[in-house]
Amino acid sequence: MSISMAAMFSASASLAPSSSHWYTHKPLFSLGPRRQSSVILAAASGDNGGSGVAISVAEQTPKVEAANGSVASASASASGEEEASVAVLNSFKDPRWVNGTWKLKQFEKDGKTDWDAVIDAEVRRRKWLEDNPESSSNDNPVVFDTSIIPWWAWMKRFHLPEAELLNGRAAMIGFFMAYFVDSLTGVGLVDQMGNFFCKTLLFMAVSGVLLIRKNEDIETIKKLIEETTFYDKQWQATWQDDIRKD
Amino acid sequence: MSSESALSAHLLSSLFLSVLETMASVVLKTFAGLRRSSDNSHQFPVQKPAKVHFRKARIVASRTCPKLSNRNLRVAVIGGGPAGGSAAETLAKGGVETILIERKLDNCKPCGGAIPLCMVGEFNLPLDIIDRKVTKMKMISPSNVAVDIGRTLKPYEYIGMVRREILDAYLRDRAAENGAKVINGLFMKMDMPKVQNAPYVLHYTEYTGTKGGVGEKKTVEVDAVIGADGANSKVAKSINAGDYEYAIAFQERIKIPDEKMAYYENLAEMYVGDDVSPDFYGWVFPKCDHVAVGTGTVTHKGDIKKFQLATLNRAKDKILGGQIIRVEAHPIPEHPRPRRLSGRVALVGDAAGYVTKCSGEGIYFAAKSGRMCAEAIVEGSENGKRMVDESDLRKYLKKWDKTYWPTYKVLDVLQKVFYRSNPAKEAFVEMCADEYVQKMTFDSYLYKTVTPGNPLDDLKLAFNTIGSLVRANALRREMEKLSS
Repeated sequence: MSISMAAMFSASASLAPSSSHWYTHKPLFSLGPRRQSSVILAAASGDNGGSGVAISVAEQTPKVEAANGSVASASASASGEEEASVAVLNSFKDPRWVNGTWKLKQFEKDGKTDWDAVIDAEVRRRKWLEDNPESSSNDNPVVFDTSIIPWWAWMKRFHLPEAELLNGRAAMIGFFMAYFVDSLTGVGLVDQMGNFFCKTLLFMAVSGVLLIRKNEDIETIKKLIEETTFYDKQWQATWQDDIRKD
Repeated sequence: MSSESALSAHLLSSLFLSVLETMASVVLKTFAGLRRSSDNSHQFPVQKPAKVHFRKARIVASRTCPKLSNRNLRVAVIGGGPAGGSAAETLAKGGVETILIERKLDNCKPCGGAIPLCMVGEFNLPLDIIDRKVTKMKMISPSNVAVDIGRTLKPYEYIGMVRREILDAYLRDRAAENGAKVINGLFMKMDMPKVQNAPYVLHYTEYTGTKGGVGEKKTVEVDAVIGADGANSKVAKSINAGDYEYAIAFQERIKIPDEKMAYYENLAEMYVGDDVSPDFYGWVFPKCDHVAVGTGTVTHKGDIKKFQLATLNRAKDKILGGQIIRVEAHPIPEHPRPRRLSGRVALVGDAAGYVTKCSGEGIYFAAKSGRMCAEAIVEGSENGKRMVDESDLRKYLKKWDKTYWPTYKVLDVLQKVFYRSNPAKEAFVEMCADEYVQKMTFDSYLYKTVTPGNPLDDLKLAFNTIGSLVRANALRREMEKLSS
């Protein structure tokens, strides 16, 4: 069954060998005992050490482990190390990641949970998974929910520095705008606040600071506005026809 | 109308919903201008509003509706899928002389095969064409957070999984029973009428009997045409309907060992993540005795094989030991064609581009649009006694847009918000864990209407959504710091 599967798979996925590389190495050299005894959904690849792999793929499962052993021992130290290191990088492992969630007890500092460390750990896990996507498994389901981290931890870490930055910008702009308007018109700060035009300028300055945080944001906002009505225009298109055929 | 305000109490925030409500009401108001006059020779003045709003109002200029003297109206339905089958059945029941041209009567169209509960009732489908009743779904985020949805389903509610060849054949046979003539042939082109009320001449190749035979060229004259021939519609090309953006859906059918198949007994899975698809999702759908594992994309069609490998990898534990028995792919339209109607030719189903965003659902909308178009023809021709013209067919478009545009818009918004990036997909899966979301999602999917939700719950949902999105994006920014 594995032979026909390997054949079918390589026939249907005619890709460069490098992209099927993780199929050959991962299942064969994995740490979990369960995987070694199951048949693999893989195609033989042409990577170094792949020739040994190719032989083992075609044989029945008990021989896979024997072939593993012989390949690992017989191969040169360089390639052996490479395959060993591939095996270690197989899945996300962290002593504090237990049963598909972060064990909060492990993050305690001075008797209280160190939420920043939890956030750091989750960031590292997500980065890892983005680079090495893993199979989702029913036996080790991931049940971590970011909402267990309390709102004030998020505020303190992400919102406050950004708010400080934006308030600083707004303060600088406000100070210089007030000075500028005063020097041009002689209207002091208190009187400016009563004037409608100045209030408009103030509103524009505040919304500008809030919406445009990076140079790219101007383009992004323009694209977003176009995006909101694009789908509607696609639906209306057939009705434009109705008008033209007058 | 109650359906709009009900639909407006749909998934996301009450802000979204109120914006949608105003948009919908603006859209609908301008339709008041479309009228049909029953007087033959009157020429009504055309009114055009000064500013271009969402739609321009127009009063129909004239209507000639000669009574057909010695025959019934003849209509050809090109394409025998769900859209064609239900259109042909409704036409035949309405007394119209119908022919249905289908190129491959045993076609196994590559398809997810999911039909909502309401389709079974509305189209009187027998329960034995449903292979499996899916009552649970698992959404899996980029970081493999898995959420089960379906807790809120009542015992009689399910998503039906069908084999397309069975469903299509059933609908076609029913159309034939009602008097439609089913022809096994390939539509080639059509000649437009030179004079008003002249017939359309359709050129097609009929396949008779011998397998592998070349088939004989034939023509037939009809008064109206319904184009139900799918995403690569030839009818659409004939009327210069224009192009649409489309997604490529790639799917492999895998036969997995029985103990693994038991897990998928009534469960379907959806995998989201940039590795699986940058703008769509990967899926594992159970079929009759195997699973279909696939993915799709609009923007990165060249990488579809890579995405498929990633989907197989994510589902690896659960499909280990499986054997690939079939590989298939098909385009899925992303939005309606610029022109869905021209003269007395109307497009329905995938040919018109009626596939929803976000979920890519098309079977129900195909069947429903086929039926609606046929109903408009039957009504406009007074059960086949009068000739129809474009304004009668436009009524189908008007009714369709009015009934389903809010659904399409909400799904479009959902796709734009939640399929945008990995953090958005994480937030999406987090939101799916919420019971209120599950209830609203399933209610709207299964019945294609929405019972008004509690505004307080809507507000809470809005907060939770924004919270999830903010958290996921904050984590992503930290991730970027790590990599730089």
